[in-house]
Amino acid sequence: MISQFFVLSQRGDNIVFRDYRGDVQKGSAEIFFRKVKFWKEDGKEEAPPVFNLDGVNYFHVKVVGLLFVATTRTNLSPSLALELLQRIARVIKDYLGVLNEESLRKNFVLVYELLDEVIDFGYVQTTSTEVLKSYVFNEPIVVDAARLPTLGPAALFMQGNKRMPGTAVTKSVVANEPGGRKREEIFVDIIEKISVTFSSSGYVLTSEIDGTIQMKSYLTGNPEIRLALNDDLYIGRGSVPHYGYSGSSGAGAVILDDCNFHESVHMDNFDVDRTMSLVPPDGEFPVMNYRITQEFKPPFTVNTLIEEAGSLKAEVILKIRAEFPSSITANTILVEMPLPTYTTRVNFDLERGIVGQNADFKESQKKLEWSIKKIVGGSEHTLRAKLNFSQELHGNITKEAGPVSLTFTIPMYNPSRLQVKYLQIAKKTKTANPYRWVRYVTQANSYVARI
Amino acid sequence: MSGHDSKYFSTTKKGEIPELKEELNSQYKDKRKDAVKKVIAAMTVGKDVSSLFTDVVNCMQTENLELKKLVYLYLINYAKSQPDLAILAVNTFVKDSQDPNPLIRALAVRTMGCIRVDKITEYLCDPLQRCLKDDDPYVRKTAAICVAKLYDINAELVEDRGFLDALKDLISDNNPMVVANAVAALAEIQEHSSKPVFEITSHTLSKLLTALNECTEWGQVFILDALSKYKAVDAREAENIVERVTPRLQHANCAVVLSAVKMILLQMELITSTDVVRNLCKKMAPPLVTLLSAEPEIQYVALRNINLIVQKRPTILAHEIKVFFCKYNDPIYVKMEKLEIMIKLASDRNIDQVLLEFKEYATEVDVDFVRKAVRAIGRCAIKLERAAERCISVLLELIKIKVNYVVQEAIIVIKDIFRRYPNTYESIIATLCESLDTLDEPEAKASMIWIIGEYAERIDNADELLESFLESFPEEPAQVQLQLLTATVKLFLKKPTEGPQQMIQVVLNNATVETDNPDLRDRAYIYWRLLSTDPEAAKDVVLAEKPVISDDSNQLDPSLLDELLANIATLSSVYHKPPDAFVTRVKTIQKTEEEEYPDVSESYSESPAHAAAPGASSPATTSNVPSSAGRPQPAAPAPVPDLLDLMGMDNSSAIVAADPITPTGPPLPVVLPAATSQGLQINAQMIRRDGQIFYSMVFENNSQVPLDGFMIQFNKNTFGLAAGGPLQVPQLQPGTSASVLLPMVLFQNISPGPPSSLLQVAVKNNQQPVWYYNDKISLSALFAEDGRMERTTFLETWKSLPDSNEISKEFPTFVLSSIEATLDRLAAHNMFFIAKRKHSNQEVLYLSAKIPRGIPFLIELTAAIGVPGLKCAIKTPSPEMAPLFFEAVETLLHN
Repeated sequence: MISQFFVLSQRGDNIVFRDYRGDVQKGSAEIFFRKVKFWKEDGKEEAPPVFNLDGVNYFHVKVVGLLFVATTRTNLSPSLALELLQRIARVIKDYLGVLNEESLRKNFVLVYELLDEVIDFGYVQTTSTEVLKSYVFNEPIVVDAARLPTLGPAALFMQGNKRMPGTAVTKSVVANEPGGRKREEIFVDIIEKISVTFSSSGYVLTSEIDGTIQMKSYLTGNPEIRLALNDDLYIGRGSVPHYGYSGSSGAGAVILDDCNFHESVHMDNFDVDRTMSLVPPDGEFPVMNYRITQEFKPPFTVNTLIEEAGSLKAEVILKIRAEFPSSITANTILVEMPLPTYTTRVNFDLERGIVGQNADFKESQKKLEWSIKKIVGGSEHTLRAKLNFSQELHGNITKEAGPVSLTFTIPMYNPSRLQVKYLQIAKKTKTANPYRWVRYVTQANSYVARI
Repeated sequence: MSGHDSKYFSTTKKGEIPELKEELNSQYKDKRKDAVKKVIAAMTVGKDVSSLFTDVVNCMQTENLELKKLVYLYLINYAKSQPDLAILAVNTFVKDSQDPNPLIRALAVRTMGCIRVDKITEYLCDPLQRCLKDDDPYVRKTAAICVAKLYDINAELVEDRGFLDALKDLISDNNPMVVANAVAALAEIQEHSSKPVFEITSHTLSKLLTALNECTEWGQVFILDALSKYKAVDAREAENIVERVTPRLQHANCAVVLSAVKMILLQMELITSTDVVRNLCKKMAPPLVTLLSAEPEIQYVALRNINLIVQKRPTILAHEIKVFFCKYNDPIYVKMEKLEIMIKLASDRNIDQVLLEFKEYATEVDVDFVRKAVRAIGRCAIKLERAAERCISVLLELIKIKVNYVVQEAIIVIKDIFRRYPNTYESIIATLCESLDTLDEPEAKASMIWIIGEYAERIDNADELLESFLESFPEEPAQVQLQLLTATVKLFLKKPTEGPQQMIQVVLNNATVETDNPDLRDRAYIYWRLLSTDPEAAKDVVLAEKPVISDDSNQLDPSLLDELLANIATLSSVYHKPPDAFVTRVKTIQKTEEEEYPDVSESYSESPAHAAAPGASSPATTSNVPSSAGRPQPAAPAPVPDLLDLMGMDNSSAIVAADPITPTGPPLPVVLPAATSQGLQINAQMIRRDGQIFYSMVFENNSQVPLDGFMIQFNKNTFGLAAGGPLQVPQLQPGTSASVLLPMVLFQNISPGPPSSLLQVAVKNNQQPVWYYNDKISLSALFAEDGRMERTTFLETWKSLPDSNEISKEFPTFVLSSIEATLDRLAAHNMFFIAKRKHSNQEVLYLSAKIPRGIPFLIELTAAIGVPGLKCAIKTPSPEMAPLFFEAVETLLHN
């Protein structure tokens, strides 16, 4: 069972501290912070999320730059502690609308009230925002969301995407709108994080999709919701009927390797027509998590060419091609490539006529960074860079540079082709149809091209 | 209180505290609420607001829940420092516990339980009793946890007031939240109680499995963890349990998934059908892999657990190696764990793919990760014979990049590869030698020097290479010095020319006179003697063939692995340490006896596995292993007796437990007859004295030469018995004998498998080969002094153990002549008399005994006086120990 819970700022300040059992010394937050900060003398290596120091076990997760920490003296389940820390962060976010140092400090009374209901004597009681609402009485003091970064996948929608109602996802589930009227709306986000590794010859070595259907409901009266997914959805690689599976990407079924569901989801009809029904609790929660290793078409292909140009020089040509339809635009693309440690100077040759493009040589990390604000589907972009070295090459430059990694966000696109076919809200009131936002987004997790 | 404090509070006219005091006593509700909030704010930033205690408590009587909660929060913090004032709150607490609003009732007991002040605790019992039977489930679930709180403050009170029974009743509650909290509270109480409080019977099992389906996610974890202590009776029940638990694998909460995995793994041990097991393995793989899609922190925990699971059941994830490939944005702690699992899953089938990955990792930027990747390639080479060549070519490729730390790491692993495949890959030595001058880390240097020495005859300029290191000999770290010494001796023995001869003199001089490192000096002296007395013997010793190594690094001992697997989804499985190694919470249970033994210094470091395998402990091999960190092992033979003084240095500080007087009692049985062992006879027996286990031994020298330098080693055995100190036998002149009491320690090297009384012993001396003999561990030497059970405990324990744990045996020839005498004899060996009764003409005696790890034996002896035949029935949680027990009892009875 958990002895203490605390939240530290990046500087190590105690923002929240709650002792549940009194069997761990009071100074634990400071001891913890010092240990994490100086895990290895060089300060480079990160502390593991679980460690033991003088008989006290510390668990921590990082959420929007804050450290959420729990301590115990017992042989507790570490997955329970870590999952709990994430959930506490989510509950607080649900209540405060925005999670950061300022909102925590302004709302400390509410936060303590929440913590008292979430954990009793070190035992988790509930982390459901819905359930907590009946026991928690403090009202949140809302902080200005516009100038603050937000938590979790919601942040994805903040970047240059006019279709998304930007502030809706940062409002508190309990606080009322300034006008006193609550807007009836529900958000369903299909978020896919993709990992792809390309071999040096451009073949896909490994590829994987980690997907989540995330829901956040602001509906009054907690109506039941039906959510339908693709008819040709299969769970488990062995479960696909042979006649229906073409084996290639493109056409064919969506095959999930594995998935799991939120406890509120009823699966009675899932096997029949791929629908789920649920009464969404308040707050943000994942309806379903899924994992796919079925082949899919990578949204970007990367082509890297390195050529030696004399003993102290080399040229790098990076080419990336957007392999998705031209109706779709990817945002905030960042291409990174480590260069040999003896690189001293890099001259770039950027394509003309592209807005928001920038290339830079990060000397301290010996890394090339190329950022592009937007890439329209079907287009291709090239960067030429001339490298200067302080010593002669040992021979194989490809061993000392690379791999090339990409990060990007592509709204309204998901490579798995998993779809929400419909979202039905059982009507209880006569009010106008609630707003339903179904949004797709794809994000690079580990997107790497070897050279 | 100096003037500084007043300055601190002088920011406002009156000062903060008086101002707050005024506001707390305001007639306006809102103002009071704001004031309490300010007090709490001051409290959380560490200001002392305890002086406001009375004023805050005055605000407690309110209908406003928000305000009430704030006051309670304050009380929890300050009641301890103001115990007398805390009484003021009792009335309100008791009143609140009967409030019509269930939230207030629950809040009252929850808060009272958190105030660890005796006077408050007294008043807690009655409200708690009521709340445990409250109509509202929210109150009941809060009360359930409150029992655990009370137990922590005053365990007796909980037992006396019957709260344990009330708690047990809540297991059948119709609200799953209440059930979950009751389970959590009972599990905690059980952990701190020596009595059986919370035993899971098949009845509770089915109740809890039903509750599992309706519980909240966290409740499911409590229940699964509690159920994991349940041992299924047979395979069918195990299959049943697994079937009910398997759906939990689909849960979105990873704590539920891991706890379910633990449960399934434990039950799988009992399942005999291979089809069912295979099917379960198949079902577990996808959820385990899915855990790797969670946050990196969770991934880390999952990976540490998977590491254990694949050691036990490699098939589960054999085809999933790709999911363990590192992502470039994984945190380093995740990458390191993934590498470890990749090595474990590497096979002839996937090695090409794996090598490609490792090669890629070896060119990344993070130095520690790169090193580990290089080392991983080497470990794969050692593990997979057919892939060794491919691994080596990757290593050579990496060496050619000439990145300093990659080269050094590669050389370290190549040294191990040479040990694994001697005389196979030496052609690459030339390439290695090219990097000689770049080496600056001790381990890499030592490895390279070992390679040069080992293959001196194939390296034309071996003497030049070594000489280049010799110049800096005094400055080198000990590890390198030791290797230089050995390598130079090898070189000299292989090429006894002028150059090496000069070198050896320099080295020996340096290593004997110029150093104050005893390890180095001892080794140098031994070489010196060897070389000056008998160079041929030196060759036999120094150049002897070495045993081939295998990749057992990072492989856990089977018994530890089993213990860790039983602790999947706990911290233990993340640290890979048994719980007692890091759980420091003081328990109320009496210490088990083995913990009371003093820590014995590990002066005898030869591994017992070696001693038991004949030939492996041939002394020549030991000093040449470069990886053996520094200390030369005290096993080299010494043809010249006075060298013994040198050898003894290591042990001189260790505990001496020799007993010059022959132990009293019956003569010891002969374990090693003189006829088989060149005139050395050993009599020995395990005995117990003053709560300590000793190996009582008599050495008798019937040979023609004096014997000295005795050492002893025990092979792995059921109880992990090992020598608790060095064996101290004086020099034995021909025709004399010496007796010794060797203190023994438990749980050092536990052999897996069913319990056995077999004790394999190896004894050596300086004059003779190693002698091996088998002895028996008598369980009676392990019976603890604190094995006496109270009558009631005996009865309860007897009842609580299932009938399948009852085993009996007849001793048909034993004649019971006097009850007193028999009981006395048994009592002398820590078998304690509890009660007796008469059953027709038969006497029935009840006794108890306890062996280490607190395993009790409940004994029933039935016999008629003067009539041959005695029946011994026992009940114990460890029925597998029964044969050993009967063996011990038989000996005791017949003595």
